[in-house]
Amino acid sequence: MGRDTRRSRLVIAVLLVLAFTLITVDYRTGDSATGVRGALHSVVGGVENAVTTVTRPIGRTVSSLTHPNRYHDRADRLAEENATLRRSIADDAEIDRLAGELSALRLLADKGQYTIVPARVIAVGDVTGMDWTVTINAGRRDGLAVDKVVVNTAGLVGTVASVTDQTAVIKLICDPTSRIGARLETTQLLGAVAGGQGPKNLTFTLYDASYQVKEGDRLVTFGSLDYVAGVPIGEVTKVVDVGGLSRTAEVRPFVSIGTLDLVGVIVGGPPGDPGDRVLPPREVPPAGGTQPPADAPASTAPAGTAPAGQDAAGGQQQAGQQGAGQQGAGQPSQGRNQAGTGASTQGAG
Amino acid sequence: MWDSGFSEERLHPRAFAAAAVLLLVAVVLQVSVVARLGAPLGRPDLVLVLLAVVALIEGPLLGAVLGFAVGLLADLLSSHVIGQTALVLCLVGYLTGLVMNAAERSIAVPLAAVGAAAALGTLGNAAATALLGDAALTSGQALLRALAAGIYGLLVTPFLFPLALAAARRLHRERGRL
Repeated sequence: MGRDTRRSRLVIAVLLVLAFTLITVDYRTGDSATGVRGALHSVVGGVENAVTTVTRPIGRTVSSLTHPNRYHDRADRLAEENATLRRSIADDAEIDRLAGELSALRLLADKGQYTIVPARVIAVGDVTGMDWTVTINAGRRDGLAVDKVVVNTAGLVGTVASVTDQTAVIKLICDPTSRIGARLETTQLLGAVAGGQGPKNLTFTLYDASYQVKEGDRLVTFGSLDYVAGVPIGEVTKVVDVGGLSRTAEVRPFVSIGTLDLVGVIVGGPPGDPGDRVLPPREVPPAGGTQPPADAPASTAPAGTAPAGQDAAGGQQQAGQQGAGQQGAGQPSQGRNQAGTGASTQGAG
Repeated sequence: MWDSGFSEERLHPRAFAAAAVLLLVAVVLQVSVVARLGAPLGRPDLVLVLLAVVALIEGPLLGAVLGFAVGLLADLLSSHVIGQTALVLCLVGYLTGLVMNAAERSIAVPLAAVGAAAALGTLGNAAATALLGDAALTSGQALLRALAAGIYGLLVTPFLFPLALAAARRLHRERGRL
């Protein structure tokens, strides 16, 4: 067979020129094909929705059919019956899980007085896997618009990037072009959270260099004209830049990007800032767990955010100071008590 | 030597249509099913694997044209610059098609070709995204994902390639009879 003839070389040359032309045109003009993209999105979105509806139960069924016994008819029948029962149990579990997630989402929306539209993820990313986006099965018809904030039960997921009648594309917080105004818990200090470091890492830049960002500090959205305030974003895991005019820190998002399913689009916010009340109450560290760093300056820590509540993410620094912490055991244990009462009152309220 | 086998160089409309439908299905399955599976390491790339298999069977011309078409569709459905996936998939289809003759001799060739196409295609997509927009992945993540795509490509080929070869033979035989 003719493998590499003049004809096929001509064709590939034409196609390559065409590809470069498209890239150039689109790169220079920006949204040059929004109409085509919108139309395609609504068509393919419908198909994706249908496919997801069909494949979800199939996946469950496959997982519930384990090792059917093929030796006797009776065993076959029993296995089949068993599989049917397992399937219905799996269905129940799925329904329970979904109901639990929905009520948790409802709780979060109530805490922040947000008006949400629940939706499910029907496609992840694009074909090449290079887009940090998800497609959901709610669209303009459900009251969604571009730039609305999307949350799940854990916190901020992203913002609506584009919307068709029945589907919408969500730009996730870890997208390299994502930049969201953030505020440190219990303060009014403004910063920005940006993506581009993969799904488990965000970059937080605090504009006020005089404030000491610490590991374990939590972030909520700052809120602006388009974005609602008070949505939990994540927790500082590592302070990167301690000099200069701004401070940079790595942030672990509360949301697990890899397992997104049920999300809520916030279509209306409260008249005022909900403050920090949407954040979950601080966990009480287990007895005998890692001690908080003994040198955490009490003066820079705002009242209420005692150094307790730091989880194991603290790292080697803490391990080194363990001895010091145990020597002056009075102060850290006091901090723990404070955090304990704080958490319990928040839970009761 | 240039015009040898000119008749095989034509695009067979039937094979093209069948492959196009197959790849369209793969595009939807890729984003709605495969990307949600949460496979270890990275994710299998259905579209690249299928494109490589089709190009191995039908040759560079069909591979290039089909890669371009599917890439363009993928671009229109994404949020990045239009044309970048078309460029990458067009090249992948063409280059994989070039080894079609060797693929008939040994099973190792399609294995290596599909694995390499999946890995290099993933790397190409990552590179195109990094050059034309904002890098979606760090280079380490891109390499890991390319490796995963290559391994999954290797795993799928022994099942997919004979199946596709049989389907293609049948398609061509029917065409010959008509």
